[in-house]
Amino acid sequence: MEFRFVHFYPDLMNLYGSYANLSVLGRRLEAAGHTVRVDRVEPGAPAGELSDADFLFMGAGTERRQKAALADFLRYGDQVRAAAEDGMPMLFAGTAMELLGASITDADGTVFPALGLAAFTSVQGRTRFVEDVYGGTDLFPEPVVGFMNKCSRIEGVETPLLTQVMMGWGNTGERTPEGFHCGNVFASELTGPLLVKNPRLLDEVAGILCRRRGLSLSPAGEESRWAAAGYAVTAEQLRLRSEKR
Amino acid sequence: MFLAIVVCKLLRVIGKLVGKGSSLPGQFALKLCPDVLARVRLPRHIIAVTGSNGKTSTVEMIAAILRADGRTVIYNAEGSNQIEGVTTLVLANASLTGRVRGDVLLIESDERYAARTFRFFHPTQFVITNLYRDQLTRNGHPEWVYDAILPALHPDTQLILNADDPLSSCFGRDREHVVWFGLDRWTGSSDVPGGIYHDGACCPVCHGPMVYDYVHYNHIGAYRCTVCGHHRPQPDFAAADLDLERGVLTLGEGVTIQLAFRSIYNVYNILAAYAVCRTCGVPADTAAGVISSYVLKNGRMQTFTLGSHHGTLLTSKHENSIAYDTNLRYIRQQAETPCVVLVIVDAVSRKYFTSETSWLWDIDFDQLNCPQVRQVILAGRYCNDLAERFSFTGLPAEKLQVCSSIREACGLLLAERGGEDLYVVTCFSDRDKLLDLPDVKKEG
Repeated sequence: MEFRFVHFYPDLMNLYGSYANLSVLGRRLEAAGHTVRVDRVEPGAPAGELSDADFLFMGAGTERRQKAALADFLRYGDQVRAAAEDGMPMLFAGTAMELLGASITDADGTVFPALGLAAFTSVQGRTRFVEDVYGGTDLFPEPVVGFMNKCSRIEGVETPLLTQVMMGWGNTGERTPEGFHCGNVFASELTGPLLVKNPRLLDEVAGILCRRRGLSLSPAGEESRWAAAGYAVTAEQLRLRSEKR
Repeated sequence: MFLAIVVCKLLRVIGKLVGKGSSLPGQFALKLCPDVLARVRLPRHIIAVTGSNGKTSTVEMIAAILRADGRTVIYNAEGSNQIEGVTTLVLANASLTGRVRGDVLLIESDERYAARTFRFFHPTQFVITNLYRDQLTRNGHPEWVYDAILPALHPDTQLILNADDPLSSCFGRDREHVVWFGLDRWTGSSDVPGGIYHDGACCPVCHGPMVYDYVHYNHIGAYRCTVCGHHRPQPDFAAADLDLERGVLTLGEGVTIQLAFRSIYNVYNILAAYAVCRTCGVPADTAAGVISSYVLKNGRMQTFTLGSHHGTLLTSKHENSIAYDTNLRYIRQQAETPCVVLVIVDAVSRKYFTSETSWLWDIDFDQLNCPQVRQVILAGRYCNDLAERFSFTGLPAEKLQVCSSIREACGLLLAERGGEDLYVVTCFSDRDKLLDLPDVKKEG
């Protein structure tokens, strides 16, 4: 089976090794015998068709680059909202999460209308919240690990991805819920390759992709052992750290 | 001001006796007289250096050149580069009437705190080496650092900028008297940007697509935005040619420099130091003479033996993919016979706690996928994250060894009798964990 990924703005929105989310998802499916095609979407390029994609992805970018991405991404608004409605899995990592909300206000107070897939609003400031994050989700019992590197407060998320945050920054402040999860739309300001860092989250997303094609996801194989071992070390480090506080 | 100077000098003397840091005396002085730095009479030349990579090396080289030219240089070799440390430095070298002795005050400035440091006085020359992805767990991202430096740049300050870096060159937009340094095309230049990510793909000014005439490494080279025209300015101090094999750097003024460390990394530090010293009136041959006989003192490269292996440790800042990429390229170029490479990530930082390993995905480890690299050993607490990253390179799995401790990696190397060259890539936070092991014998 061939899966089609659509990667929005791979150069513009490419901070903190975001791209590795796609790499590891691709490998997870390839190890199960499938093939993966990744279509890049560049700003200004003719708008392609999204309805037959299996997965949409956008990574983190600087606040200025995020606005450039937003300016182009708005033309996909109807298509992305329809895809979300249809249950297409998608991940918006880092500052890309903010594009899904109703608006983004930059540090100077300028308001940028966003996609409006969800009602939340993001307000950026001149303070940066940089810290390790240790939290939990309702999707599986294992803790979620990651790193926060943002300057926004996100208000109005009703269905967060991390329903509890034991350490670090969430949507509205320290130890508040983080990210956004509705249907098969996943979004999180946790930076970097959160699917590499959290093998259970990777399985969750990969499982959805498979189910939509009437397949079941085979258990992770040998190729996933390093990520599993790395997760165990980081989860232990962060657990100790969060208990110390 | 008098009291602040006396207190600062006294605390400095006591601090030296008990081996305490150099920022505390300045901290007290600032409490007594918050604007003391505006009241003292500073030397004619005040040179500040900031940027992501190469600050310390550049500052050390500038000090050596200026001293060779007969100037008295006040600078902080201990590297306390926030306002408190700078205050200590300035007041410790001031008379009781507030006249700072010396011809040049030389300051290595932390990127994020430069605006605070230069609130009460401003540099006559400000060198900005580059702005790369560096310690993002502290710094956010390069544009965030750009915005932090911007308010530190007084209109009267002369900027000494890297023409080849598309982001830090933006500091020179709409400013007069900017001095540019850069490297022209040489045999090692390529046509397209390299590395895992392409920070040069989009213009930092308008986000339009950028094109390159040539690239020296990653996104550093001759860039041009196809939309707004932001482009590499013509350098005032250009290196016309570079021969890394013979270790010769040719500067535009008919000056050649013998490179002590044959890495392009070093070339930009030299260019920055040369440009600012020439701007301050140092003759070309004095500057070139110092640089040619200059050996880096900060121990970035350390040779040693470990069992039958001869080792070279290349210090690469963790969380800094360009530092890593440059050292990986150096290994690929230098290694002729089969060699072993040891990559250590045990503590991400020596200054703060983090388990953040996203930066590993920004490093081009595929450079080690070459016949002369026989084996790669990954070691330290984050060896699994390294192994996961390496599993996405072209390196065959049989070339990889994963060790959860540095001691284990050391034991593995000791057991081998092959005597191959060993290259070690790691950060200041982890290097001594290897170099201090009993089986490791450091060389001069």
